[in-house]
Amino acid sequence: MTLPKGFGSGGGASSSDVNKMIGKRVENMIGLYTLGYLAAWLSTFAGTAVGYYYYPWAYPAPSGHFAFIVLTIIEAIGYLFCVKVGQEGSSKNSNGVLAGVIGGTAIATIIIVIFVNG
Amino acid sequence: MAQMPALIPKEVEIQRLKKIWMIVITMGSTAASVEVDNFVDGSLHQTSIRDSAFTPAHWWLYSHFVALPLGWGAVSIYDRKVPILRGPNNSMNTGLKMTILGYLATMFTIGVNEMWHFWFVEEIFAVPNHWMFNMGVVVAFMGALAYVVRVYARLVELGAETPGENPYVAEMYKMALEGKLYSRSIP
Repeated sequence: MTLPKGFGSGGGASSSDVNKMIGKRVENMIGLYTLGYLAAWLSTFAGTAVGYYYYPWAYPAPSGHFAFIVLTIIEAIGYLFCVKVGQEGSSKNSNGVLAGVIGGTAIATIIIVIFVNG
Repeated sequence: MAQMPALIPKEVEIQRLKKIWMIVITMGSTAASVEVDNFVDGSLHQTSIRDSAFTPAHWWLYSHFVALPLGWGAVSIYDRKVPILRGPNNSMNTGLKMTILGYLATMFTIGVNEMWHFWFVEEIFAVPNHWMFNMGVVVAFMGALAYVVRVYARLVELGAETPGENPYVAEMYKMALEGKLYSRSIP
């Protein structure tokens, strides 16, 4: 097996070489997935809120709320897939984080939809 | 399925393929959200008499034309780290080439579209300047699908994903691994 420059010592790849080539492993990126999901969710709220605060004639709050709810569901599915694909086949398990984050955003979405109306 | 020659350690390849897969999932979420926006935009057009490029539904619709090319750009940069995904003569993967070509067509059409609407203000969906938008996006999606299938097929081959039970799907993966997803001669 040919390894890139700086890897191996003539006798193939050792486990430290493999780890060096991998860098940060996908199963350890739960923080990145969670931050990405929360950033997407917050910007979805911001985007819809700008719509019904500044363009209420074109984008009434119920329309913005519908978009916000459906998008939250889509983003949550994406987040779930990222975590599950990243951790499948490894001993890592972040079901608690998943449940907490998705449950938290679900409750926050309901509260926002009830109380923020432009 | 025939095992392709390994040029990098298996574990490294799985990790790299999965990183590509994460970007694809993110772009999939973006594309799914734009499907919702089709309804939001359609609903808006039922009530709003005057249209502009800057209605909220259009921000959402048009921003995915920025997000998806950026995502595919990121994939095409990272893709170079996975030898199995290279195209003919160590060039870029053919699926990625098609995707980039498709988005370039839509970008070129923005100019054409502006010129058309200088003379014809009415927004009619079927006017010729809109054809290239739609065809560009379809070409981009075709290339993207072929690329995604190839990535997934390799993950199946490496034992990181479960193979498809449907024989037609299994055949598609087999063709993708042999580099024959588009035809039996074009990798």
